[in-house]
Amino acid sequence: MLLQLKNIYKWVTQGGRRIFLLNDLNLEVQEGEFISIMGPSGSGKSTLLNVIGMLDGFQEGEYDFLDEPVHAMKEKSRSKLYKEYIGFVFQQYHLIDELTVYENIETPLLYKNVKSSERKALVADMLDRFNIVGKKDLFPSQLSGGQQQLVGIARALVAKPKLILADEPTGNLNSQQSTEIMELFRDLNKEGVTIIQATHSESNASYGTRTIHLLDGMRDRSKE
Amino acid sequence: MFKNHIKIAWRNLRSDPKFSVLNILGLSVGLAITLLLFLFISHERSFDTMYAQKENIQRVLLFTDGDQGEETWTNAPAALAPAIVADIPEVKKASRMYRHNFGGNAFVKAGDEQFIEKDLYWADAELFQIFNVPFLRGNGQKALDKPNAVALSQSRALQYFGTIDIIGKTLNIDNGLELEVTGVYEDLPSNSTLDAAMVGSFKTLNFYKNPSWSNSSFETYIYTVDNTNIDEVVSKIQTTLNKNVVKEDQWYSFGLQPLEEVHLYSGGYLDSYSKRDGDINEVRNLTLLAFLILIIACINYMNLTTARSQKRTKDVGISKTLGASTQSLILRFYTETFLITGIAIALGIVLTIVALPFFNDITSRTIVVAEVLSPTFLFLLLGVWIITTLVAGSYPALHLSKFSPKEIMNPSPARKGAAKLVRKGLVVVQFAASVILIVSVAVMYKQMTFMQTKDLGFNPNQVLAINATVALENKSEDALLNKFKNNPIVQSVSLAQGYPGLGVSGRTLRKNDQDESGTNLQTNHSDAAIVDVLNLKLLAGQPLPRVKQRSDTIVEVLLNKKAVAYLGLSPEEAIGKKINAQLGSNAYIRGVVDDFNFTSLRAPIGAYAFHNRPIGEYKNYLLVRFRESDLSTTLSTFEADFKEIIPGGAFDYSFLDKNTEKLYEAEQRTAQIGLIFSILAIFVACLGLFGLAAFTAEQRDKEIGIRKVLGASVFGITKLLSTDFIKLVGIALIIAFPLAYYVMNNWLQEFAYRISIGWEPFIFTGLCALFVALLTVSLQSIKAALRNPIGALRKE
Ligand SMILES: Nc1ncnc2c1ncn2[C@@H]1O[C@H](COP(=O)(O)OP(=O)(O)OP(=O)(O)O)[C@@H](O)[C@H]1O
Ligand SMILES: [Mg+2]
Repeated sequence: MLLQLKNIYKWVTQGGRRIFLLNDLNLEVQEGEFISIMGPSGSGKSTLLNVIGMLDGFQEGEYDFLDEPVHAMKEKSRSKLYKEYIGFVFQQYHLIDELTVYENIETPLLYKNVKSSERKALVADMLDRFNIVGKKDLFPSQLSGGQQQLVGIARALVAKPKLILADEPTGNLNSQQSTEIMELFRDLNKEGVTIIQATHSESNASYGTRTIHLLDGMRDRSKE
Repeated sequence: MFKNHIKIAWRNLRSDPKFSVLNILGLSVGLAITLLLFLFISHERSFDTMYAQKENIQRVLLFTDGDQGEETWTNAPAALAPAIVADIPEVKKASRMYRHNFGGNAFVKAGDEQFIEKDLYWADAELFQIFNVPFLRGNGQKALDKPNAVALSQSRALQYFGTIDIIGKTLNIDNGLELEVTGVYEDLPSNSTLDAAMVGSFKTLNFYKNPSWSNSSFETYIYTVDNTNIDEVVSKIQTTLNKNVVKEDQWYSFGLQPLEEVHLYSGGYLDSYSKRDGDINEVRNLTLLAFLILIIACINYMNLTTARSQKRTKDVGISKTLGASTQSLILRFYTETFLITGIAIALGIVLTIVALPFFNDITSRTIVVAEVLSPTFLFLLLGVWIITTLVAGSYPALHLSKFSPKEIMNPSPARKGAAKLVRKGLVVVQFAASVILIVSVAVMYKQMTFMQTKDLGFNPNQVLAINATVALENKSEDALLNKFKNNPIVQSVSLAQGYPGLGVSGRTLRKNDQDESGTNLQTNHSDAAIVDVLNLKLLAGQPLPRVKQRSDTIVEVLLNKKAVAYLGLSPEEAIGKKINAQLGSNAYIRGVVDDFNFTSLRAPIGAYAFHNRPIGEYKNYLLVRFRESDLSTTLSTFEADFKEIIPGGAFDYSFLDKNTEKLYEAEQRTAQIGLIFSILAIFVACLGLFGLAAFTAEQRDKEIGIRKVLGASVFGITKLLSTDFIKLVGIALIIAFPLAYYVMNNWLQEFAYRISIGWEPFIFTGLCALFVALLTVSLQSIKAALRNPIGALRKE
């Protein structure tokens, strides 16, 4: 099992009242799954992805990742863990404007202290694979949205994560670009990468092996 | 429209209080410093401008060959003034001035009360005809016509008599002369070189009755008719000199210096009487400093404003799409700058006024609040306001207004890069300026410390110089000497004409009769104990003999090594030799002492002699070397001893080490002003850096978030944000160091005894700058790095 969330509660306090963002949430993810999270806007999809990605904490519950208790970890080991195993893809791509395509893809490797020669090889692989060798010296602002998202995915993949978290990866793209990205995800999944994506689109969700539905921070079992 | 601009500007100011405070604070501190310096500079430049006939007044200069080339004295012989008025038609009037006792204090008795007067001059009646000093009582034109007349400043009149209606009252000077008050004049303003609090008539003095061509102790001002050719007058003075003095005795020649140059352009001239000496170099340095600080403050403003205005680029872009013209946008930014600089100036004025007493204290000037608020100065301020607005506002105004709306809202990387480059350049300039300041101050302090700790060849610590003029008047100097010898605190005591740091008599030392030019020899009439009192090192022979009869025609001389070297002798060879030094025909070398710094360390050591020739010079000072003990009890036992021998005599003393320190007052002052201002400059520079770092962190918020998600550590992010700035500081250091080295190397040339600059000031400054910059920047960076990245990424 890759990860397991048990009775997760996450809330914010507003005007003395607790507003639950995640409410008694349970989820098990096996290696090799391709999960789509669906639900209306504000239902907690992004929040859940952030919690799984260890970017955000929660108040109650247990979270085991590769059988290690994330909820009991210090910041340092947690960040080591996600650096090692998780890659992120965002709706707004979140590329670094000041860096070229090549440098953007290279960045996660820098933070993992990968050797220079190995970095070169890994980045070259990615550029090849996504057919963006010709664009490697361009800046993000010089690319189309679809191309930017390709770079975003390449960056997420370069460090060979076990798990890709994608928050509405095609939200800003047209349908043709969306299809390309989704097919890419399906291929990756076939190669063994676990993928969790949040999406509003039924057709995108259909690329997944399993869909879970959220409503007000809870699993909406009626739809599953 | 304009009102609208002001309204928007005001809102912007309030919407971002942190930036506004940093901005206004930086600018107002910078402005306050600049204002203070401008005040000081304009005070210095205003010297002697209050005299109506200033364009017709010249001071006589005397040029003579010292040991190290030309020396310029501001004194002339007493015989010169009457001779040139008689001979040269252009010279309408001349007045000699002599500071009492060659600069010593006078004891003044007014009624039953005794005072120590530090500012008594003697001058010809023409003094107040040349310098139109307003008289409150009596007639200034005639006040000094007769012997035994004296004119007082208003404040002295009030101090001595409690009133200014004192014409005809009498004053007693040094328990001897009775002077009659003939006039009371308005206090001389603090920017008058003439600083007399009391002026006695020159006719009272022996110098008047027998004016000599050899004793050059009289500051001489002349009044020339309009359109005089000064060069011609100078050559006519030479003609008069040739008429009166045979060539062999002309150890000098003369020149003239216009009054307007007297205050600032007399650096290096010897024997000026006025205590208000200025220095054009100091004025130049401080002007430079003022501009540097103003620039730093303006850059600060530009940096912070452009940084902040980037946040408002969208707003500008929208205004443009809505049809706002470039001009109106430029006007809008200038209005905002004008408002902020206005507030900063107002605050700056307040700071200036608050800091003024302190500033006066360290500059020993008396600049008053009225000068800050005087119309001319306020006018100047308006100029500063407009210039600062134009300079400080130029970048934001032009930078943002010029571009098309699309480009502002979605800037191309190239343009963003250019904007960044400009900002970085500004930070570099700002830091380089601060670094130059700090290095300069560090070098100054190094030199000061060197001067204070250098082995002077004598020991000025634990030595008191007591003014013994009164004792001389009633021939009780031996009694005084014995009294002090018996005091257990006293180690040794000597009577001497002067002490190191105080001018003594200049004579000429010749190798033989063929040696026409000779060398300048400072001669000090003193006694046997002087070697002990000053801790001089006797290299050969004996100190002066203990007993000396007045009738004895033999003169013993103690030379310094330099003098013996001039004679071409070793110390041992010199002993017993006869010497040709205008000390009579029977002068013999009795001993040789090692060289010691008898003037400031600015000048190299020259030839010096102690002698016991009884005629000529008085031994005005009792020099007392005392043992370590409680200072106040020491002083009071000394005073009691003194009063016992001379009842009613005023006890006027100074410490030799303090006097030695006083030689470097101007440098101390510049160093002190420099220190304070460079601290403030670096503070202002740091405000700028702080603002910029905050801005950068904010601007790179998203990037920081992404990097954290990609695995960057807090340290990594801090490093990322800080290295850029540290690099800038590094560049600033590289630019500033050679400049600072050049400037300070020049400054050090003024000193014959100087430090080598060495590397410490640079290491010190470099570390300081880096430390301060790192502190400023990393505070911001760490804060940014610690934030949860989700917040940053959710924005948009
Ligand atoms: N820091 C916070 N403080 C208060 N409320 C928050 C905070 N973070 C998220 N929320 C709220 O939590 C709820 C869930 O937000 P979340 O972003 O997870 O929704 P989502 O399902 O991703 O919606 P969308 O489809 O629009 O992206 C929303 O109502 C949001 O307003
Ligand atoms: Mg979302």
